[in-house]
Amino acid sequence: MKLVGGAALGLATMLVLSSCGSGGAGGGGGDTQAESGGQVTLKMVAADYGDGPGKPNSGATFWKGVTDEFTKANPNIKVDVQVINWNDIDKQVATMVQNGQVPDILQTGDYSGFVKDGLLYKTDEVLSPNVSGDLLQKFAEFGKVDGAAYGIPFVSSARALFYNKDLFEQAGIAEPPKTWDELKAAAEKLKAKGVTQPFGLPLGQEEAQGESFLWMLGNGGGYKDASGKWAINSPQNIETFTYMKGLVDAGLTTPNPGTKDRKTVWEDFGAGKVGMVNGGPMSIPIFDAAGLKNYGVAPIPGKTGPLDTTLGVMDWIMAFNKNGHAAEIKKFFDFFYTGDAAQKISDTYKLLPVTNSGIQKLSGDEKLKPFLDALPNASFYPFQDPKWAEVNPAIKQTIGGAVKDDPAKVLGELQKTAEAAG
Amino acid sequence: MRRLRALEPLAWVGPAIVLIALVVLWPVVEMIRSSFLEISRLGVVRGYNGFANYEKLFAEKDFGDVMVRSVIWVIAVVVLTVLISLALAQLFNQRFPLRKLARWALIAPWAASVLMTAIIFKWMLDPEVGVINQIRVKLGLIDAMGGAAADQLGDAATAMPWLVFVAVFVSVPFTTYALLAGLATIPSDVYEAAKMDGAGRLRTYWSITLPLLRPALTVAALINVMNVFNSFPIIWAMTHGQPGYSTATSTILMYILKGSDIGESAAMSVVNFAMVIVLTVIFLRVSRWNKEVA
Repeated sequence: MKLVGGAALGLATMLVLSSCGSGGAGGGGGDTQAESGGQVTLKMVAADYGDGPGKPNSGATFWKGVTDEFTKANPNIKVDVQVINWNDIDKQVATMVQNGQVPDILQTGDYSGFVKDGLLYKTDEVLSPNVSGDLLQKFAEFGKVDGAAYGIPFVSSARALFYNKDLFEQAGIAEPPKTWDELKAAAEKLKAKGVTQPFGLPLGQEEAQGESFLWMLGNGGGYKDASGKWAINSPQNIETFTYMKGLVDAGLTTPNPGTKDRKTVWEDFGAGKVGMVNGGPMSIPIFDAAGLKNYGVAPIPGKTGPLDTTLGVMDWIMAFNKNGHAAEIKKFFDFFYTGDAAQKISDTYKLLPVTNSGIQKLSGDEKLKPFLDALPNASFYPFQDPKWAEVNPAIKQTIGGAVKDDPAKVLGELQKTAEAAG
Repeated sequence: MRRLRALEPLAWVGPAIVLIALVVLWPVVEMIRSSFLEISRLGVVRGYNGFANYEKLFAEKDFGDVMVRSVIWVIAVVVLTVLISLALAQLFNQRFPLRKLARWALIAPWAASVLMTAIIFKWMLDPEVGVINQIRVKLGLIDAMGGAAADQLGDAATAMPWLVFVAVFVSVPFTTYALLAGLATIPSDVYEAAKMDGAGRLRTYWSITLPLLRPALTVAALINVMNVFNSFPIIWAMTHGQPGYSTATSTILMYILKGSDIGESAAMSVVNFAMVIVLTVIFLRVSRWNKEVA
């Protein structure tokens, strides 16, 4: 009896402990109900563009300001916003969907995965024509799947090369590099002056796919070729990563790039430890916070000349149809895009607007000008391809190996992932 | 009336059974069920998927390495934890000035959030500003900050020992206290008897303390095995399992897979679960836990 009891206890402990490990971080799903008196609460999930909870620029603070004002104008509609950081938002939303607790509104990095399963309202059901007409046409195009629009562009950003002018002056570099060889020469000069990371190269989990793409573009490569086929291990890309590997081996970059997140490298740039780094408007607040003032912004160097395109990233807002509420959502969206909320988000987080009127309002900002100019000719991730959802995490995890081990092999594995059954 | 009486125990154990069924058994069933479903990355269930999730998982290039690493990780962390805790428990069982303070201090790593501890160690190991690297520079162990030599978390060969160190660091307090409690249950007359028989210190420890400590030792080690196998925050906060998957254990792989294929991730969870059971059974066999000691 003692034995049986003990065994049962052991098993129970084991079950408890091991099921802790796999439990999802769920909770907080949408208990949206129309309450008595016509009161409707919209449940919204949004990504955090700020520095996290408790910081003055946290997403929670931002959205509270927006929703308070909205509820003041529309007393019958309350909006509950749950802000989740970028690292966890996809997984938490997936848990909500799996448990049937979808929010009414979701603001995140991708919408296309929800379309196939018929979870979303079409754009015209939740957005007034005057608002959708104001959206940048090229961006709105990316919100369509099979001709019907589901994703509403929310904010965008573009990339450019940031360089530390003080360090450049000390190293005797007259102007920012335009080609890879100039970049290498500049990095060598910086290293000779004791700069620990002449070129900041974040190929770690946070955004390896972005840094990689910028380098691929510099050699006429990309994740897909011109015909729309996956081409991760194209000869151009292999050449690109071989060149990067040379920089890494010579100690001209961040050490072990495959383990470094962009935020860390941007903070290092802000602290004056990095000579040059690819960044966007959203890195400006990080540099400011670290106290770095004397930096310049230039087009990203390519193999033979500066890029004529850059990485554009668009984030999206979308509405789920499960709880009804189309009319209320429409009111909220119109409020967001026509009021000053959309502009406030650009100002607070240095993100670029997605509307013609928004771009006009910002055109006076000197620091943002290079990025606004780059937007019309931006290149995007192949995020509308359903395989991207599987390729992207694999890239984040492993592409750093291409500058450490054999580039052809690492890129070949990723190509295999992309070509595998979908 | 008699029949009612017979049902009485149920009223007492019922709530516990319901609780266990709800928070333990049901998630396990759900987990196993999910592993046979096709679920999109965004959580939409698309139907039954047979063993496809498992086939895909076993075909992952890094799967074998990750499983082997998980086992090594568990053995390394648990063995080190238990050895250090045995010594510490012995020490804290002695009377010495400020013992109370020392015992309180030992609780600190346990009381602090594991995630916090891991992040603090990550900062201390930062190649540009980390305090551990500053000390290494001052000691002349490395030439300068910022280079590859200062970046110990960037390479699996140096990152893995640090991960093990942090895992041991957070496991030692609990284990020490469990063993300390065990030591307190050993009656002093056995020691007196041993002394009378002329047993030396080593002999006493080997033949008296350790055997009598075995129940506590078994429980402490077993809980550690399961805890360490499922340990997520340390590795995730310090390396994300990178470079590549070279510092990932099966729990980390499970989490990474969740970002691309939830069904496959569930399959990984089931494998993980099975591994814990297997490890536990092996452990109980080896430790002959149910053989009562004299």
